[in-house]
Amino acid sequence: MSMRSQVYEWTGSRTDGSGTALSATEAGKRVSVFIGGYGNNITKPAETTATQFVVIEDIAVSPSAFNVAHATAAYRGLTTANGVSGPRAYVQVRINTTDYFLDPDNVGNDGIPGSASPYPRSINFQPCFNLYPDVYVLPGQVFDVLVTFFNSAAYAEMKCFTKYTLYDGPDALIANKLLEMGISINPGNVDWYKRTLIQSQSAPAPTA
Amino acid sequence: MSMRSQVYEWANLAPSGSTSSLRRGTNDIPVYVGANREYDVFIGGIGNNITKPAETTATQFIVIEDIASTPYLGGAVQIRINTTDYFQNPDVTDQAGIPGLASPYPRGSASTVAGTSAGDNLLKSFDLYPDVYVLPGQVFQILFSLRSATDGSATEVVACFCKYTLYDGPDALIANKLLELGVTINPNNVDWYKRTLIEQQTRSRVAAQANGGSA
Repeated sequence: MSMRSQVYEWTGSRTDGSGTALSATEAGKRVSVFIGGYGNNITKPAETTATQFVVIEDIAVSPSAFNVAHATAAYRGLTTANGVSGPRAYVQVRINTTDYFLDPDNVGNDGIPGSASPYPRSINFQPCFNLYPDVYVLPGQVFDVLVTFFNSAAYAEMKCFTKYTLYDGPDALIANKLLEMGISINPGNVDWYKRTLIQSQSAPAPTA
Repeated sequence: MSMRSQVYEWANLAPSGSTSSLRRGTNDIPVYVGANREYDVFIGGIGNNITKPAETTATQFIVIEDIASTPYLGGAVQIRINTTDYFQNPDVTDQAGIPGLASPYPRGSASTVAGTSAGDNLLKSFDLYPDVYVLPGQVFQILFSLRSATDGSATEVVACFCKYTLYDGPDALIANKLLELGVTINPNNVDWYKRTLIEQQTRSRVAAQANGGSA
């Protein structure tokens, strides 16, 4: 299987693996969901080998609602502080050392708000953002998904979700070829390219 | 990466003692927002702001694909390109823009600030289609307004959201070309134009080789 749909879910409160539970002191700081040291982590930075190509298709983080500052009770199951219910969380994608999401003044920002791309999705919190065009991680690149939350009272509610497709071996080569050709990289187009190759090989040789 | 999906989220939250800030902070509190006044969410001096007016350089092209705002307190959002408001009344007079009730942020938000009614989850009834184009060199503003001011003790939080795609470098040139051709500017069509260019080059190379010359 050389094209595989993959997901990574990060929960700040999980302590299995090498991570410790996320704490209020991390509010306002960027935390890597892969190797940040909080929640569930993996063993090394996320990177592609020379024969891999990753297409990040969706990112989402815990949502927040905006309401009234003096409301201290939980609102829709989320902890409220200063008029924000939930962690006021954002998620950024970093390729090598470059942040993907920028403000209009070309300064890197906190990323996609959880209120725009919530995880989990519910009737209360629905998405108004979809990651299109997708984010490509080329062979040999390091990538990271960074979460930031600002409501220190709601750190326990932090979750993040990433959905990506991993192209490996020959399919990674095809993905590179599609990139050169300016064609969107998705399983349908990779299959189309394979069919085109097969058809061109099996076509009868032109007569002189 | 020359086509990038981008978002900008604004809320009337700033550190205590100031009305705006360039970076979000953990001690942000709500700031008073007046009624019937348009606030530029980028440089309006309220809530989180950026360092300079939002504008495209000569090698950038922006396509605004979605705008949304807080539905309560009569929240609405308008787009201004240079000095021209995008949304107008039928008699070509000014209006506040898209109501938050039509394009709520967050989606599923309650229609009142307290939001205590069960099942009060607003869905969008507005889609920004066709998209709004910000051509190279243009300045754009996202203007947020309320019909009713936030309360005097400044405890109500209101927000605004904008989703756009930034085309940069060669892709911005292609976006301009598509505009000239009357083709909708989206990542698919930019890719289509690139493919067309590549196919043309390939065909001319093959034709040159068939004629015994070099490409």
